[in-house]
Amino acid sequence: MDVVQEIHDYIAAEFTPERGSLAPDENLLAQGIIDSMGILKLVTFLEERFGIEAIDDDLVPENFASIETLAAFVERKRNG
Amino acid sequence: MDLSFTAEQLALRSEIVKFARQELNAELAEHDRAQRFPRENWLKCAQFGIQGLPFPREVGGSAADIVTTMLAMEGLGYGCRDSGLIFAINAQMWAVQTPIWLFGTEEQRHRYLPKLCSGEWIGAHGMTEPGSGSDSSALATTAVRRSDRWILNGSKTFVTNAPVADLFVVFATTDPKLGFMGVTGFLVERDAPGLQVGKPIEKMGLKTSPMAELVLEDCEIPLEGLLGREGAGAKIFASSMEWERGCLLASYLGAMERQLETCVEYARSRKQFNRPIGKFQSVANKLVDMKVRMETSRLILYKVGWLKSERQEAVMDAAIAKLYLSECWVQSCLDAIQIHGGYGFMTEYELERDLRDSVAGRIYSGTSEIQRNIIAARLGL
Repeated sequence: MDVVQEIHDYIAAEFTPERGSLAPDENLLAQGIIDSMGILKLVTFLEERFGIEAIDDDLVPENFASIETLAAFVERKRNG
Repeated sequence: MDLSFTAEQLALRSEIVKFARQELNAELAEHDRAQRFPRENWLKCAQFGIQGLPFPREVGGSAADIVTTMLAMEGLGYGCRDSGLIFAINAQMWAVQTPIWLFGTEEQRHRYLPKLCSGEWIGAHGMTEPGSGSDSSALATTAVRRSDRWILNGSKTFVTNAPVADLFVVFATTDPKLGFMGVTGFLVERDAPGLQVGKPIEKMGLKTSPMAELVLEDCEIPLEGLLGREGAGAKIFASSMEWERGCLLASYLGAMERQLETCVEYARSRKQFNRPIGKFQSVANKLVDMKVRMETSRLILYKVGWLKSERQEAVMDAAIAKLYLSECWVQSCLDAIQIHGGYGFMTEYELERDLRDSVAGRIYSGTSEIQRNIIAARLGL
């Protein structure tokens, strides 16, 4: 399963179980899907599943706005 | 993990205990009854160096490391029986000075930190709103940039130190579309046009710590009043809370130790049925439980100090410390009253004030329920 799909499945199951699927470019922050508590869960998932470490400076809209940006962030961390 | 203290650290703790006992406990019951903020004691603490402890020397601090600072605050909690004053000091240190220190510009650090360390100025922190608390996504205060200034509109409540504060760290959203990542920090001086400080709010406890609402009505602040970058407010707030949850609790640990000693002494001297009441297991067990809670609290607290000193993330450990120590402090107060019987219920013995003060610890800086949510989130639940 690719990174986009894994992140999608986690967010859909954890944060929007009543909705089912999400668009990869859907704004998770504007929709209130990821809030200040949710980001703790999401970061824990990303760190455990993809073996990355998210530092404070990573927690910016550019990385967390959508499933697409999250996947790109994970890839950068993995390659970095 | 190294939890040992140096001779210098222990000497500082002893000095603070001595200072606090001599200088900070006079007329406390009267101050509590009158809900009077003891400004003179605030200044004494600043002159002793409390408010400046962890901050750099060039801005008026002592550059103490985090563990030394925790130990000092533990000593303050042990020697000073005025939990309201300690709470007010902590509110400034961790939620005003620390954000300026960690996220402010050089100009902001040099403009504000010397005055806050010296006690000349008092700082307050405005995050909670009538409609939002821990959920910063729901924050309604807005900030709009207009050429050479920021315009803030909204209101804040439960702002500790507000009635006496000279400087406010205020959080507002600069982009509602970004949810909690649109929250931004601002430094608002008391004379900013459009800032109104409400009447002091009456509370159950911590009565010597003043609190009020803030109203921001087209409140104008210069562009230099931005704290950190736009959208960094949630990060600043989370960082402040991590420090506050770790360090504020150190004074609870000192208070628990003071309370345990008081109770042990009472249980040895108070006799019923020709025996000290401490010889009855039902009393002794309460004292044992107080001791166990105090010692486990110590380990949890200083683990946070160690993690922070190693520059490791401590979100979950700070939440554990906040949850555990605040709950332990309430239980310790209840046990202390029960051990003292009728005397414990009387104002003169000062245990009922401790209990009233302790309840707030389960609420401020994130309720016990929020701490459990944080821990659960970090467990991936």
